[in-house]
Amino acid sequence: MNTSTNNAYDVIVIGAGHNGLTTAALLAKQGRKVLVLERRSTIGGLAASEEFHPGYHTTGVLHDSGQVRAQVVRGLDLKSHGLQIRPGRPSLLVLDPEDQGMLLSNRERRTTKELHFYSPEDARQYRQYRKFIRHVAGVVNRIFDQLPPATDSPNGRTLWDLFKAGFALRRLGRSTMLDLMRIAPMCVADWLNEWFDNNRLKAALAAAGLSGNFAGPWSPGSAFNLLLWECAAKYRLEGGPSSLIAALEKAFFSLGGEIRTDSEVNEIQVEKRQIKGVVLKNKERIKAAIVAASCDPRHTFLDLVPANQIENWQQQRIQHIRGAGTTAKVNLALNSPLEFNARAGEKITFARTGHHLDHIEKAFDACKYGRFSDDPILDIHIPTGSNPDLAPAGHSVVSILAHFVPYRLTSGWDAEQNEKLGDTIVAALERYAPGVRDSIVARQVLSPLDLEQRYGLVQGHILHGEHALDQLILRPTPECARYHTPITGLYLCGSGSHPGGGITCGPGALAASAIAQI
Amino acid sequence: MPIPTPFHDRTAALCTSYKWADWAGYFAVSSYNLPNDGEYYSLRHSAGIIDISPLFKYEVSGADAVAFLSRIMTKNIEDIPIGRASYCCWCDDFGKIIDDGTVYRLDANRLRVHTAEPMLAWFGQFRRGFDVTLKDLSAQIAAVAVQGPTARDILQQVSDADLEALAYYSVATAQLDKLPVLISRTGYTGDLGYELWVDNTNALPLWDTLMSAGKPYLLKPFGLDVLDIARIEAGLILNGVEFHNAAHCLIESQKATPYELGLGWTVDLDREPFCGQRALKAVQAAGPRLVLVGLELDWDEQEALFAKQGLPVQVHPGAWRSGVPVYDNSGNRQIGKATSGTWSPLIKKNLALASVEKQYAKTGTRLKIEYTVEYQRETVTAVVVKMPFYNPEHKRR
Repeated sequence: MNTSTNNAYDVIVIGAGHNGLTTAALLAKQGRKVLVLERRSTIGGLAASEEFHPGYHTTGVLHDSGQVRAQVVRGLDLKSHGLQIRPGRPSLLVLDPEDQGMLLSNRERRTTKELHFYSPEDARQYRQYRKFIRHVAGVVNRIFDQLPPATDSPNGRTLWDLFKAGFALRRLGRSTMLDLMRIAPMCVADWLNEWFDNNRLKAALAAAGLSGNFAGPWSPGSAFNLLLWECAAKYRLEGGPSSLIAALEKAFFSLGGEIRTDSEVNEIQVEKRQIKGVVLKNKERIKAAIVAASCDPRHTFLDLVPANQIENWQQQRIQHIRGAGTTAKVNLALNSPLEFNARAGEKITFARTGHHLDHIEKAFDACKYGRFSDDPILDIHIPTGSNPDLAPAGHSVVSILAHFVPYRLTSGWDAEQNEKLGDTIVAALERYAPGVRDSIVARQVLSPLDLEQRYGLVQGHILHGEHALDQLILRPTPECARYHTPITGLYLCGSGSHPGGGITCGPGALAASAIAQI
Repeated sequence: MPIPTPFHDRTAALCTSYKWADWAGYFAVSSYNLPNDGEYYSLRHSAGIIDISPLFKYEVSGADAVAFLSRIMTKNIEDIPIGRASYCCWCDDFGKIIDDGTVYRLDANRLRVHTAEPMLAWFGQFRRGFDVTLKDLSAQIAAVAVQGPTARDILQQVSDADLEALAYYSVATAQLDKLPVLISRTGYTGDLGYELWVDNTNALPLWDTLMSAGKPYLLKPFGLDVLDIARIEAGLILNGVEFHNAAHCLIESQKATPYELGLGWTVDLDREPFCGQRALKAVQAAGPRLVLVGLELDWDEQEALFAKQGLPVQVHPGAWRSGVPVYDNSGNRQIGKATSGTWSPLIKKNLALASVEKQYAKTGTRLKIEYTVEYQRETVTAVVVKMPFYNPEHKRR
């Protein structure tokens, strides 16, 4: 058997999502022989374009591609591989059943003008709010773009990094620094109440701090999440998340990388706490001295690493990571363009329900008790708005992330509950876009349980673990926070690591730099 | 409030002292009579019977039962042959002891574990990756120990199994006067003895059978107070006295490794990873700082201390576990602690179990132990002696 040459790599990356591919490409760029193993038959994970009904495509489970790290785009020269990155977030329509809603434009002036219509004071405050974000963004992003501090064995370098971060914070000015420290543990509702009057505006802004998490507007720490998102979300990708995957794949191939799909890892082989390689579901063994896992750390440590290769207390820590999903996905294939009655004739590509903080909190209430709300919070994306090729001519695709849909549904998930969820979401959409029900050609409903089974998301959590104050920075656990793990050669490179989930490529890039140091 | 054990109807009737203790949530007799000398001498010269139902009992079964327990215990459970019992301890990740107990290999893939503390949660956390079923039988199984030089003779009258053939630390199923029992040649007294495990419903018939079989031998029930004397004479450590479950300790110095408890022989380091293995390798390489030793207190010095106060010498009734400092021979430097001790009616000496720094652990080393007479804090000489203090030949015969 000729396994000696084909079956050994410098690095094996588990999972071909945006983070896995980022790590893989950056290491391939270093000249290492890298293999990416993907359990599904398509690459891309939550950013994969998928045909959910013949002729209808999505651009990924997730919509928000505005947080992709510029250094990754530069470092892998993704633009030359076809990635079109535009400054500014996409415009977002906040839907309100009562009237025409509120458009948060990617142009600040247009937004303030819209806000002015409701409240001149809020318009003024909005400018101040954006100014505050611009003021702190540099420092916040810097902290979230560097390796987290080494808490296990602080060395001169980490102390220097900490000092620099502290110094940068201080340079923001004493009051801003204190303000940041005050905001971090706050809830979005309190923080936004300090800024604004208009309920719809507050609800519109709050949602970004809650997305994917088991947190409502009054949950502590959510203000910090919002702040991070506000600082990081600066772009939009032409073609959505899947265009990022396409560019990463090209970059990786151009650097000599190899991807194998339909290759589910069954076990990470460890001997005396040293990585030996992986064993696939089909029993094939592949050798490598380094394995970088972009899957949820809970999957990595509790399913893939043999139980006796990690200390019990470490396993306990991993088991106690909070991360039961609260997000469901519904894809709709429509035989017409989607039109919101609030903005008839306008081309809307991003919209969101949730017009009042209380409305969001009520939706979260249901989730707390194992139900989903009759009036769920929907993140709506119409990818065909910018890319008509995703559906037959004149037809459209509506991609919906429904928030506060619990993984642990009291009644359990089954086909009936999936249908009920789909009906609830369509009914909610119908309130803003009357007639949409009749134009549905096909509907795909993915409960958090489906997301777990389909994408390997542990407990269906799209962020690979809650973004909570205690689970950020030292993420997923203090001893694994700097991408290396107690097992020599095993690295984490997915959303379960700092700086967390969402399409950022941040964990992938930082993991690659941690691996590059060895 | 504690609850009765399955033997309570019988033990309560005999407990004329009304001296009860709470043992793991059960009523357990401390002493049947006051004084309890009779219980002690029956145990040592003929036989005694004690209700040990409050022990925690777990059944571990399944294809990976042995590997599962090997992952938890410091001992390699593979090494226990079918039909044998083994004394084991288990540690946390840092090599600090959690609890000790006995493991019975009933079958290739079926084992029984008896522990001092509830361990379902601790054992359960290692279940991942093992084909194993872990059952808590604590409330379903009653147990008594029959201990003492005539224990075998008493049991043989009613047992269908040949107890001569049941070697030390062996386990077998048998019928005792038609009652199905699991019988093991184990105990906590350092004597010849057996432990009998039955379904709760058979507890009272078993008691009656044993008591009538033991009548010609003057078999007597004994309580925890006598058990404590016996186990110290046998040099056996006790959870909560000689060591503390690391999970309950507040500071590092309260925790102990098996090495410093004299349990190094239960640790098998070179095998598949087990909980605490890495830490224990390091401890073994460096050598333990403390060592468990047996001390004999100098009688003449005790007498002199009492004389100084104008009193005749007295001995502490029963065992003590209050803990006292142990000093080097000069009496100036504390080098350890005595965790429990007793006047041994058989050896006629005051004995103590102590944890001392390694260099003071050699047999024959003279140390000083704190000794208080009439509220005067003094010391007397204590000599390190070989353990167990009491080790009769008939224990293993």
